[in-house]
Formats: sequence, structure tokens, C-alpha cells
Amino acid sequence: MKKKRTIPKKISLEAWSRQFENIPIEVIKRFRYYDNDEWGIYLSPPATFMVYGARELQRLKFDNSFESLRMWGFVFNETERLFRAKQINKKVIATMGDLGTIPVLVFSFPDCVPFYPECLWWTPFFKESTELLDTASRLGLPEATCFSRVVVSAFYKRSYFPKPDLIIASTGASCDDYSCVMQIVESMGYEMMWVEIPYRRSTEFTLTRPRPQDCDKTRDGFIYPKVIEEYLVREYQRVWQRLFKLTGVNNPHRLVETIKKVNRLRNLVEEIKKMNAEAEIAPLPALELMTIEFGNLYGYADFDEWVDIVQGIYDMVKDRVKKGIGVLRKDAIPIAWVTPSADPYLLNLVEDLGCRVVETEYVIRQALTLIEEDIEPLRALARSFINASLIGSTEERVRRIKQKIAQNKIKGVLITNMLGASHCAMETRLIERLLSDVPALSIDVPAPFGINQQIRTRIEAFVETIR
Amino acid sequence: MELIGYTCCSYIPIELLSATGLKPYRLMHGDPLLSLIGERLVRVDACPLIKSNIGFVLENKKRFACIIGSTGCDMERRMLEIIRTATGIPVHILNNPRTDNFEIFNNEIDLLVRELEQFFHRKFDKSLVQKECERWKKVREQFQEIDAKRRSNPSTLSTTTFHKMVTNLYKGNLEGGGSDTPDEMTYKPRVYLLGSPISYESGPFIDLIEKRLRICGDYNCGLSRDIYTNVSEPTIEGLKKTYYNLPYIFKRPNITYYEWIEKELKLTKSTGIIVSVLDYCDNFDFEISRMEKRFKLPILKLKSDFSFQNQSQMKVRIDAFIEVLASYRSGVV
Repeated sequence: MKKKRTIPKKISLEAWSRQFENIPIEVIKRFRYYDNDEWGIYLSPPATFMVYGARELQRLKFDNSFESLRMWGFVFNETERLFRAKQINKKVIATMGDLGTIPVLVFSFPDCVPFYPECLWWTPFFKESTELLDTASRLGLPEATCFSRVVVSAFYKRSYFPKPDLIIASTGASCDDYSCVMQIVESMGYEMMWVEIPYRRSTEFTLTRPRPQDCDKTRDGFIYPKVIEEYLVREYQRVWQRLFKLTGVNNPHRLVETIKKVNRLRNLVEEIKKMNAEAEIAPLPALELMTIEFGNLYGYADFDEWVDIVQGIYDMVKDRVKKGIGVLRKDAIPIAWVTPSADPYLLNLVEDLGCRVVETEYVIRQALTLIEEDIEPLRALARSFINASLIGSTEERVRRIKQKIAQNKIKGVLITNMLGASHCAMETRLIERLLSDVPALSIDVPAPFGINQQIRTRIEAFVETIR
Repeated sequence: MELIGYTCCSYIPIELLSATGLKPYRLMHGDPLLSLIGERLVRVDACPLIKSNIGFVLENKKRFACIIGSTGCDMERRMLEIIRTATGIPVHILNNPRTDNFEIFNNEIDLLVRELEQFFHRKFDKSLVQKECERWKKVREQFQEIDAKRRSNPSTLSTTTFHKMVTNLYKGNLEGGGSDTPDEMTYKPRVYLLGSPISYESGPFIDLIEKRLRICGDYNCGLSRDIYTNVSEPTIEGLKKTYYNLPYIFKRPNITYYEWIEKELKLTKSTGIIVSVLDYCDNFDFEISRMEKRFKLPILKLKSDFSFQNQSQMKVRIDAFIEVLASYRSGVV
């Protein structure tokens, strides 16, 4: 398709609606999920989703490229997609807690669609509604916990996704909040397949130095006890058997192919991040970048289409970098963002106040790391998961950011927290100390509508400090 | 250095810690002043027990040869990382599986034994392990005898007194369990105590409850949970089997915890349940509604940050709870 290139900028919903009118119908029809031309069209102006309830879109600003529009259409269409999947007899599988690896197994079985219920944590913010949070409170869940508690409400209401054919719940050396959420979901009558997440104990947390033959090193450079690889392989074998039982298909070759596809996506995303960080002018806004990063988890329930979307974005970003154009000011200050914000508006705000996000630690490192293709596939999955953000030490979690600070590529660190969430409470002060070579700002993301003048002023002060 | 510290999670075999020749000291502090010290290193919304324990270790770092922790709850695991970074005290974090995975626990205990042997230059041979198992068995049996008085109907020992005795034990003083106990017989309504760990400094909290009620049993890490760890086979393998099978709320699924408590409620003839929940303790806070549905007994949830600033409010709520218990007994509720 020959597309008219426009000057990159962040535009409002209204501007997007006007721009959408210029998109020919044949282009709209070209993009379909599940490759279905009857009902699979997802390209629509973001205003459509605002009308259907995503009220925050009125306040947000979006990248004005066609590629980003396509991405938003696809992402916001996910609920419809999951119900369609069920209608056409695909198996809908809820993968909870591991953030990025179990879906690789699920995709290796025909007509199986994985999704992460925890990604609903953005819903109250996009919808500017406390309904899911209030329901969680009515169901007896504490309020000072991670926003992922809305998952209990979603399972209770049964209208945000179809009843899963299988729920694979990963827990262990990870955050408490979501482990508790999953336990409550099970107590509501949903059958869970529990999967253990082992602890990546670094040598600092042993009394004596471990024998070299007992340790290995991940791609990200984390030393870990070799034995946890075996634990994960066995857990993935159990998952494989369960999926085999569900589908009646057992074709390990498909896993090899899926890994190749997943790596293609992970490579693209890594390249986009790299271009975005290194370009003189940021080619893509932080909100779109975060959405792209999280796509690595499960391709928003249609992996092939998502890879195609990201390929389009990659090409567009490459083109912008080549032309030296972008969406932010040239003097925007490079910062690192630690822990994702449940409120997307915060990403807009930080950019509006003069920053650009050049490095992220969104607790999904495991979904960004490449999977080895030259070893046994289940072991390769295990070895990639061992890079996970929350299963090891805080020092390991922010090591990449520390390195970039040392290289003078990052001027400040923004940490977004949730009040009462187990890892936020324990890690934030430590992260501030570990990254103390630059100023750090830690913000508690408030409930919908909670971003007030006080938060704005704090960010402004932070920007003044690092400028 | 006289102490080997360990976290309040009951999955770390205490027999192995005392086999090092040091006093095993359970980190169970709940002092608001210690919490303030802890808040220098963690956010205010960290668990008060964790903050207080960090504070205690910072104030007493020279007393600890090392600290053993586990991945039981997320904050507890991360506490060890903070202690290691801030004090340099050697730590070992045991990977305690949350799901049913004995293989991991088995390997982790083997690793812990190797670590302790090397670190303390001691061989944990059969006779040493047996000796420690028997020593702890004797102590636990003494405490079970004492606890039987608390559990009897009518109860003849208060939890206030019992708490003082176990505090001594968890601080590593094995003697004292066999001493005489006062006669504190009462016909006050019998309640069962669940929830976040009762700390060493929780005496006034227990006393407040027992002014009008009698805590006749508990499944709490700060009270009797550990003394019912009955190791039948005095070997490392026996320790693994016993400790692995302890029910607890953070296990997934946590059905064995509920089954255990149901059995306990019947055995102790409890008429109500008090769940003490520390601020930001997800493992219990999330489960209250479920407990209410499952146990079919009146439940009082008391939330605390150890500061005791809400003492008057708690007193009123306990009084109201007594009325609920009375209504429940007479069939009104």
C-alpha cells in the first residue's frame, strides 16, 4: 500500500477521526483479525472505542501514523476478538501470572488463543470508571493492592472475556498481589492449572559461593542455579501435556516454528526500542511504545496479525529515524521508566512536560528476551523465562538502567507504584538507591481521575531537576 | 555472634539452624519504633512486620552470623535482599514453592544443609540431626502440653501467658517451656485466632482481646503454629517431609489450610474467629470474605500496623463482636 506520509505528531481523538475519513474503504477491509474478511475487520477510528466506553481516549494523544492507528484498532478490539474466538470454536486459554512464556506453548497448538486477564488492569483507566475496582471491593478484596485485582471482578462479571477453556496460573517467586487474585478466582469455581515460578537466586543470596558447575548465566547476564531450568522444563512439560489433552494434538515441530515467530516479534520490538532510544528525535510516543512492548506477551490474542502490525510500525519508525523526524521535541530529556503505569495518561503527561522515555523496566523482561533456537525448545523457553523481572533481585532488575545511566544516556528515573503492591513497597527505595547517580521520582498511580495538580507539579519539579 | 536469624515463615527447619550451634532467632518483631527505622529502607506501605524486622536487624546487626529466609511471601523474600544490601550480613534465601512441588523443597533443604555445613564448618551427620530433632521434639511436646490447657474446655491458660512463653522460645531460649503455668480458667466466649504473624510485641493486643474473650487456639506463626510441627523421623528426609506438608495460606491452592482450620475449629470448640491482619498483608486480607463463607462462624477482622493507635476502636469492635457471638449462639444470627 502506498501511504501518504504526514508530519509525525501526537494528535487528539478528534484529529484522528478527521484523518480517518481519508482512509479508503479498501484499505480498511485489508486488515482483519483471524484472517476473517466477514467479521474480522478491526480498523476504526479510536473514537469508536471511546463511544463504546473507553472515555479516557478523549484526553489522550496518539501518534498520527496509519501504523499506530492500525495498532490501536487491533488492541482495543481484543474483547470482541476473544468472544469471536470462542464462537468459532477456538480454545480460549487464560494464561495468568507468568507474563510472556506460557502463550508460546499455547500458540503451538492449533486454534488455541491465549490471553492475559491481568492486562485488564488498564481497563478502569481507559474507561474512566471505577466499576471493576468497586466490584473488587464489594467482593471483599482489599483496596490497597495492585490494580490487577480487577481480574477478580472480570471473572465475576463474565463479560470482559469468554469463559476460558483452560486457566494456567503461574505463581511462586513473584508478586503476592496477583497470586492472591488467582487464588480468589479459583475459589469462585474456576479450575486452575497451577505452575510454579522458581526463584532466581543470585550468588549474593547464598552463604557460600556456589560451585561453577551448578550455575549458568542468562542472556541478560544473570547468574542462576542451573536446577531452576529443570524445574521450569518440567512445568512446561506438564503444560504441554495439558494442552495436548485439551486439543488432541501433539506436534512439537509447531513449538519450534512458534519460537521462530516469537523471536521475530521480539527482535522487531527490540529494534524499535533501540531506534527510539538512539534517535535524535523520539520517533514514537511512550504510550504506543508501551503498548508495543506488552504485545510481546501474547500478541493481543492474534499473534500473526500482531507481528504484521509491529512490522509496519518498525518500518515506519525506521523511516522516521532516517528522515530525522519524530513526535517529541529535540531537547526532550531522556528518562527510564520503572514498573508500568496502569493509567496511560501518565505516559502522555510525562512527555508533555518535557521527557522522553528511552529505557523501560515494565516487569516483563521475560517477554522481551530472545528464545534460543538451537536447543531443545522447552529448555529454550525455560532459559528465556529465567530472565524474568520479578523472580530475582532488584539489583538485577534495574541493572540495564544503571548501565545506561553510567553511559550518560539517562538523566532521570521515573518509578510508578501501586499503593500496597508487594514488590513496589519493597523495591522502590532500593531502586532509588541503586540508581542514585540520577534523580528519581516515585509516583503512586492513583485510581481513575486521580492524576491531579499535585502529581503534575511533582513531575514538573522532577523535570526541572534533570534538565 | 550468637544468633542465626530466620524469617517467620515456618518452612525453614529450625532443627537445622540449631545444629549450627547458634541460637535460632525468629524475626517476629512488631515494634512501631523499629518500623520507623525500617522505613528508611522500604516504603511506608511495606508490611509492618517486615519494616520492624529490618529495623531490629539494623539495630542488632553484630549479633547475627547469618539470616535464613524464604520465598514464602514476596515481601519477606525481598526483606532479605534489603538486609543483605544494608548490613552485609550473609543471607540465604530458600526457594519455598507455592504450588505442590516437593522436588524443589527437597533440593532446597539439601542445599541449605550444604550451605550451613560449609559456612559453619560443621558436619550435619545423622547423630547431630537426630540430636537436634529430639531436642526440639521434647521442647515442642512441652509446649503442646501447655497449649492443651489453653485449648481445654474450660480453658485454663490465657493466650497472653502462652504468648510470653513462646516468645522466649522463638528468640532461641529453649528452656522455660516446662515451667509452671498459672491457673487462668475462664468461661469467656472461646475464639480461634488466625491471620498475620503475632509479633513479640503483640502482648497488649492479645491482652485487649482476652479481656472479654478467650483465645483457645490459633494457627499463627507467632503463637502455636510451630509447636505442632511433629517430626516423626529424626533425619533430614524426615524434616523435609514434615515441613513440606505444613498447610499455609500462601500455598496454591490453599485448600489444606482451610481443611486444617475447619478441623481445628471443631477440636477447640471455638464459637468465633478473630483474624488479625497486618496492613498490606495480602495473603490474609484477600481471604477474609472466603473465610466468612467457608467457616460459618462469626469472624472479626482486626487490622493493625502495630501502633495500637486504634486501641479504642478495636475495643469497641471486640465488644460488638461479643454481642454477635451471643446472638449467634442464641440462634438470632
